[in-house]
Amino acid sequence: MDCDVAVIGAGPAGVQAAIHASRKKASTIVLGKPAASALAGTLIDNYFGIAETSGDGMLSEGRSQAESTGAVFVEENVISAAREGDSFVLGLESGEQVRAKAVVIATGISRTKLNVPGERELFGKGVSYCAVCDCGFYRGRRAVIVGNDSEAAVSAELMTGFASETHWVCWDPKANDALVRRALDAGAVMHASRPASIEGDGKVEAIVLQDGTSIPTDGVFIELGAKSAADIALDLGAMPEVDDTIKVDSGCSAGVPGVYACGDVTGRPWQVAKAVGQGCVAGSAAADYTKGLK
Amino acid sequence: MVTELNESNFDSFVEANHIAIIDCWAPWCGPCRRMGPIIEEAAEELKGKVEFAKLNTDENQGIAVRFQINAIPTLLVFKDKVLVEALVGLRPKEDIVAYVEKL
Repeated sequence: MDCDVAVIGAGPAGVQAAIHASRKKASTIVLGKPAASALAGTLIDNYFGIAETSGDGMLSEGRSQAESTGAVFVEENVISAAREGDSFVLGLESGEQVRAKAVVIATGISRTKLNVPGERELFGKGVSYCAVCDCGFYRGRRAVIVGNDSEAAVSAELMTGFASETHWVCWDPKANDALVRRALDAGAVMHASRPASIEGDGKVEAIVLQDGTSIPTDGVFIELGAKSAADIALDLGAMPEVDDTIKVDSGCSAGVPGVYACGDVTGRPWQVAKAVGQGCVAGSAAADYTKGLK
Repeated sequence: MVTELNESNFDSFVEANHIAIIDCWAPWCGPCRRMGPIIEEAAEELKGKVEFAKLNTDENQGIAVRFQINAIPTLLVFKDKVLVEALVGLRPKEDIVAYVEKL
């Protein structure tokens, strides 16, 4: 799929960016799962001109607005990102690729910690948040991947190439079927129960699940949600902050031509009003940028 | 300046410096790529107090095994040739400077 502007994230910032980019006649694709937005399931009562409304209603209404001016929604996470000359190539869960002239990062912020006993104590001693970084240390050792969405699926498949056995703890599957199948075909063993604790004395020895299963392991890789915005930004040539936010200027540029960011991913305040304000700026700027390239 | 280390010059670097901090990294590790410029800045700020170096763990797996590294980025901190700490994970320059002040 080719487009002018690819928006990563289907929350208020991303959808507003898509509305403004598509109104400027830029062909626009929105990638991501609206249900993953922090706005889903909430009630909004501090937005100008609206006494009270549901977040879900705003998300679906906003999507219709963006679609009415030509934006296309693809409910898949981005699993890879790269620059190729003047354009950007985003890999999706299904294996499809989106080639865009500009990218708007509007992923929001997501939880990375599991918050189970043993996690903090054993960080760096077998607990890791980056399978891509650390898989090489698990050649011939046992590994457990924890997570329900695309990043866990990608990590599970990757880890089978290194570890002697790869287990995947996934209690509420959200990743695309094609991606899940790839991980299982590669040899990952799935366990459908929530993690209860990570056990070990000075190093990881096992992960215990809520159904009572104990999986002996050398490493636990916590990979919640989708590929992080920080990793996407880095792969597109921008430098994220240490706290994983993406710093933008007043034009929502992430510091690299063609790369913009808006919404919660740019830092506090985590508010719909700020998200759509930045979305408007980022979407317009991205569309203008692609016109300048022609 | 941040020296590039490998299996052959690792020990001599540790032995030659009162405090040596070695940034263990690999090219495909996103947090490591973000740590690089932070280490450059810390090296500049702590010039004369600490010597910084980098070690590509993929090309030098023997050292990674020797120091039981199983996550990167890891900063190996040596004081008077003795490993005093392995700091795991991306962290801001201020944390590194504050840590060194306490050594």
